[in-house]
Amino acid sequence: MRTEEKLYTLRYKKDNETHLAIEDGDKCIECEKKYGDPQPCASICPANVYSWQNNKIVIGYENCVECGACKIACPYENILWKYPRYGKGIALRYG
Amino acid sequence: MLEYDIVIVGAGPSGSAAALKAASSGKKVLVLERGPEPGSKNVSGAMIRKDYVTSVFGEGVPFERNVNKIKLSLYDKDKPVSIEFSPDNLVTTGRLKFDKWLSSVSENAGAMVIPKTTALKLNWENNVAKSITTDRGEVFAKSFVLAEGVNSLVSMESKIRSDLTPENAVETVKVVYSVKKEDINSMFNTKNESSGVAWRYIMTDPLVAGFLYTYKDSVSIGIGSPINQLVERKIRPEKLLDDFMDKTGLSDMVKGYSLREYSAKVIPEGGFPDINVSKSNVYLCGDALGLVDPLTFDGISPAIASGTIAGSAAVYNLDSATYRYELMKNPEISKIAKERKLESEFMSGDRVREYIEMVSSMLNNWASGNMFGMRNTMVSNYRNVIPDLMGFVLKMR
Repeated sequence: MRTEEKLYTLRYKKDNETHLAIEDGDKCIECEKKYGDPQPCASICPANVYSWQNNKIVIGYENCVECGACKIACPYENILWKYPRYGKGIALRYG
Repeated sequence: MLEYDIVIVGAGPSGSAAALKAASSGKKVLVLERGPEPGSKNVSGAMIRKDYVTSVFGEGVPFERNVNKIKLSLYDKDKPVSIEFSPDNLVTTGRLKFDKWLSSVSENAGAMVIPKTTALKLNWENNVAKSITTDRGEVFAKSFVLAEGVNSLVSMESKIRSDLTPENAVETVKVVYSVKKEDINSMFNTKNESSGVAWRYIMTDPLVAGFLYTYKDSVSIGIGSPINQLVERKIRPEKLLDDFMDKTGLSDMVKGYSLREYSAKVIPEGGFPDINVSKSNVYLCGDALGLVDPLTFDGISPAIASGTIAGSAAVYNLDSATYRYELMKNPEISKIAKERKLESEFMSGDRVREYIEMVSSMLNNWASGNMFGMRNTMVSNYRNVIPDLMGFVLKMR
């Protein structure tokens, strides 16, 4: 089963503002040279949030399951990681 | 101006325990919850010790099934060695229902719970926290409890603690499948809809801890693996779960049943006692202190234990050393603090694999009546594993 199909099982309300961002794009280029593609953020993410396109990390924050592994895995501490606002984001039924 | 005696961040088990304690002491308590309702952002297996939860929150703990049998399977390469035992007092529970109930108990004691509100940062004056900024405005209080979970953003923003590292964090992913009650009873040989099982798995290379729990009409399956290992080997956690389910036969078992939920969580393997537990009038508890049992992955009992102590610390404005002492005095918490040192040794190098090979070889030889095999296992492990184990035993005291 594809990741996206799994993510369909989640109740979700989108925050119009992203809760995830990259602090410095140059560090991602350095990271790609050292670790290759997929980078640590992309390989640890269980929800396919991160992808490498045209020499930069593209963030699909609406896929995020809010686990926080990416910010721990990033060797450059380069991910600005917040929670979605106003109760938005995922809402689990079982948890 | 919104003003409370105590503001608590997070309506999980730890925050609700703190709220219950503080509100029962007559304080004006506000709990901020970032999810649409308590439990909606929280992930665990989930298995709890019902008598322990009852001892703090009273009767009425919502649960799915009793855990009548625990099966532990150790995988030496592809073949498992399993042992089964019958635990007392363990039940499975769904976090949404469970956390909602805990929160309602704290509300009945007088706490005010506001969901859909994300705490952002504490505001300090002369090293004392005066207020907390949320996405809906500012709230003032005399003291604060940060029961904000494993991604402890407010604690980190105030530099009370730093983030976990890939070495001391485990990434877990979990799936829940809808399975009819009768089907569960025939699959797991359970007598009725109140009895159930818990299965645990340990695999090496890569190191994986897996679990399966039976709910009333669903089955929860998941794995956890250290983040440093996953990153170094570029293993996607989702793929690891798929491989785990194939290897254990669980994929075949749930074939044809529908997936109800997919979720993920970081489990802290570092924290208390090696980090600050409080700063002035701000107290950390639960996952924010890294309180998860490294062997059983039980984070709920220590969350409740530390939350209760944090609630009381906030009421009496305990200093850091006293709060730490009170935490350490609690058996739920001291157990983790003691095991943590052993765990990091256990996890280092190839030790886990060596132990599993030893146990597996011993039991296989025993079962097949091979006395010489047993003796050879003992002799070959005499030099490396046994001194290690002795060292562990001595340090455990």
